[in-house]
Amino acid sequence: MTMNFAFMCKPNEVTRTGKKVAVIGAGPAGLAATGYLVCRGHAVHVFDKLPYPGGLMVFSIPSRRIRPGHVLEGAKVLEEKFSVEFNLKTKVIASDENVHEEGDDFVDKVVKLEDIINEYDAVLIATGIWKSPKLGIPGEDLEGVIGALEFLYRWKTYELNLLPRENIVDVSRRKVAVIGAGHSAVDAATTALEMGAREVYLLYRRTINEAPAGRYEISEAIREGIKWIELVSPLKVNGSRHVSSITLVRNRLEEPSSGGRPRPVPIPGTEFDLEVDFVIFAVGERPTPPPGVSKIGIQVNEKYGNVQINEEFRTSVKNVFAAGDVVTGPSFVGRAIEAGLRAGRAIDRYLSRI
Amino acid sequence: MKYKLYYHQTSCIGCETCERVCGFLYERPRVHLYRVFGGIPVPIGCRHCEKAPCIKACPEGALFKDDDGFVLVDPEKCIGCLMCAVVCPFGAMDLDPITKSIFKCTACNELRARGLNPGCASLCPAEAIIFENTVNIFEDIRKRVAEKLASSSLNL
Repeated sequence: MTMNFAFMCKPNEVTRTGKKVAVIGAGPAGLAATGYLVCRGHAVHVFDKLPYPGGLMVFSIPSRRIRPGHVLEGAKVLEEKFSVEFNLKTKVIASDENVHEEGDDFVDKVVKLEDIINEYDAVLIATGIWKSPKLGIPGEDLEGVIGALEFLYRWKTYELNLLPRENIVDVSRRKVAVIGAGHSAVDAATTALEMGAREVYLLYRRTINEAPAGRYEISEAIREGIKWIELVSPLKVNGSRHVSSITLVRNRLEEPSSGGRPRPVPIPGTEFDLEVDFVIFAVGERPTPPPGVSKIGIQVNEKYGNVQINEEFRTSVKNVFAAGDVVTGPSFVGRAIEAGLRAGRAIDRYLSRI
Repeated sequence: MKYKLYYHQTSCIGCETCERVCGFLYERPRVHLYRVFGGIPVPIGCRHCEKAPCIKACPEGALFKDDDGFVLVDPEKCIGCLMCAVVCPFGAMDLDPITKSIFKCTACNELRARGLNPGCASLCPAEAIIFENTVNIFEDIRKRVAEKLASSSLNL
């Protein structure tokens, strides 16, 4: 069994249109769009900074949840049966703006977005959310403080035999604090445990009832040996060069005045230190469109960097579309897949008019 | 060989792909992802039962099996009485507010007619919904159980 992105057609049914589409980002949104577009007869070239397609399905979500081969074989079908060209280890940047982001370790080729826009009839930006924002507290630049995505991604590259073990953040026999209670936090915590960490704390500012990963996921993690500490917020990370502890403060929950989730309020005088060797923060990843996109007229949200689109998945540049987490922020694989399919349909309609 | 749409419940990761792909294909999805008991994901949709109780319960004979054994509704015959919904153990039925007929999963009959597989099974990244012949389905089930038994006896 393999994921079949081009599930709406057989290779021999396709009539070529002669139109060319560039898909930037080979995650769920990019591959779903690719599958749709090849079935409509368009030639698709995919660009991705990693050595394999699949995005977070392959490089972040633990293999016991999604088997990497299931995704990779699906991409291979696109390549072999639908002549999709995969340009891997290739990072797309705009306006010469080259900044380092998570997942950049394999990049050996840089392509300019302006050139792609000129060369292709349509372009889809589906580059996802490869940035773990820091916490904004003192001590977070110490060695041993790392984003959940970077931590998971390094482990997966080792698991996939892409990088030697030295490249992982080795937490075996060490104490680890994971901050957050979403899926990335739980994945990071259980992966740390799998790697042989001595103790793994999952720290959350609200209670298990508000945890974005859900009560069930958290309970499962606790059953596996994770130490769950709720109603705490990190104040600072301590250590001389490497992390030695983290200072936390206890919270109480206050009902919000204007609806929404209960608000955590720190209780003065309840500060305490937790001895740890690593701090992994998983407080929501941020969209990472090709660096510099706003300089070539593609509008992004100023605060978080989400690419702005209209109901036809179009950005503010004529033949450039966007879909998936780079538009919505962190969501679910299924929502990215749906957005990719719908963006594919929108691009196909656009191409039929030009 | 007989093909079935098989929901491997314990492999579901709650990513919503089934519901979202179905929504893309038909606007109103026929499979829905529910999270129960604090977040356990459960996809809810038609199992295309061999001895389908909905077919027996329908007073108008509106529910039937197509040539491949998948349960379909004839909207012309359906009177919207919901008897099928009463007896369905899987919550597969829904009522179209415009046609006043039941609509449900067709296992993507139009795709199947072209030799293609249903959308949800084609794209489920967790291999939790699969469209396969029954020999392979049961082979797969036995393999997954064997792995589970091995890992629990080794305490992995």
